[in-house]
Amino acid sequence: MSFRMGNSVRLIIGFLLVSLSFFGQEIPSKPSGYVLDQAGLLQANEVQQLEQKLRGYADSTSTQFAVVLVPTTGGSDPYDYAMAIGKTWGVGQKDKNNGVVILVSMDNRKIRIVTGRGIEDVLPDATCKRIINRILKPNFKRGDYYGGLDMATTEMMQRASGQFQSDGSADPEGIPVVFIIVLIFIIISIIKAYKNRGGGSGPGSRGGGMFFPPVFFGGGGFDRGGSSGGGGFDFGGFGGGDFGGGGAGGDF
Amino acid sequence: MNKKIWIGLGVVALVIFWGIGSRNSMATSDQEVKASWANVQSAYQRRSDLIPNLVKTVQGVANFEKSTLTAVIQARASATQMKLDAKDLSPENMQKYQAAQSSLGGALSRLMVVAENYPQLRATENFSELQAQLEGTENRIKEERDRFNGAVKNYNSLIVTFPNSLIASFSGFAEKGFFQAEAGSEKAPEVNFDEKK
Repeated sequence: MSFRMGNSVRLIIGFLLVSLSFFGQEIPSKPSGYVLDQAGLLQANEVQQLEQKLRGYADSTSTQFAVVLVPTTGGSDPYDYAMAIGKTWGVGQKDKNNGVVILVSMDNRKIRIVTGRGIEDVLPDATCKRIINRILKPNFKRGDYYGGLDMATTEMMQRASGQFQSDGSADPEGIPVVFIIVLIFIIISIIKAYKNRGGGSGPGSRGGGMFFPPVFFGGGGFDRGGSSGGGGFDFGGFGGGDFGGGGAGGDF
Repeated sequence: MNKKIWIGLGVVALVIFWGIGSRNSMATSDQEVKASWANVQSAYQRRSDLIPNLVKTVQGVANFEKSTLTAVIQARASATQMKLDAKDLSPENMQKYQAAQSSLGGALSRLMVVAENYPQLRATENFSELQAQLEGTENRIKEERDRFNGAVKNYNSLIVTFPNSLIASFSGFAEKGFFQAEAGSEKAPEVNFDEKK
């Protein structure tokens, strides 16, 4: 009995050590977006473009990508590092586990993709490996980090599309309705303007024509505000997705 | 006198309620262990399912070292035979199960190391993807084992502490086994290159 007790105490201590080493891993703190470039591989506008793309995709499908570029993983295995990021940040939705972490470490020139449990079916390990070999590696070797990441995320998005739907918190239906109303408004004002021009010859009809451009631009501006509103809300944060060990790694 | 009986009855009722509550939490914890055991098994199954494909790919290469290949096939057969039901997760059974699986893991990693020495194999995309798949299954196994160990830890610490241990022995909840850290798993397997060809 006392032997058993001693054994389980030792096991518990072992577990504590394991969990300490897991949480003690020096991973970056949770960023305020989907792209974190600590290695300085991307231009500011490239970060923004990638961010916008990932944000739009996350808003419409709920699938979240985290692109993390670090100068070093501090001696830890890229897999462990990427898994720690995925789990600690909670990339993907909690109930769907549809997160993907793309990690690039510069000092050992490693690429590591880890896939959430829910997305392993559409992005199996072999596919991740192929994306690394065919897209990321050749682009990175040429120094085109943005090009590689852009193409790779597009490829992954296409594969994951249709698998998950957003819960509708972003209300994607709302934008087309606004758009249609604006369109109808524009059409009506065009018709009115033409009628006025065709029928009238006085300064009043000129007024109708002058009235038209501000409405048009006003409408366009409104539309723009609506669509960026869909993707431009504050970063909703990662959803608490879980990772089970899927993905692939490679060098470049 | 009457008062004493009531107090006595109250204490008995409290003990019974505590016993029921304690037993229920053990049952819940037991279910968690069983659920994570199922995940462990499917992770191992995944690795097992990968092997025929791997064998086929490697066999296609001319004069591939046969001994590592047959070692994998044999280890797979004995690992498949070793079934362990979630009801029988005693430390002894766990040890046997783990031994069977880790000998398959060892045979597989030796095969992969040997395969690295065949450039015509290493260069193919098929092999590179198989490698990634195998790596992925090993990672999943590690992940599920960690989770399983976590669930067993909760369960065991629930049933061995006094006074829960009394309830556990009445209701037949026995201590369950862990996956032990693999001895020498950090060490890359040794390959004797002189034996080749």
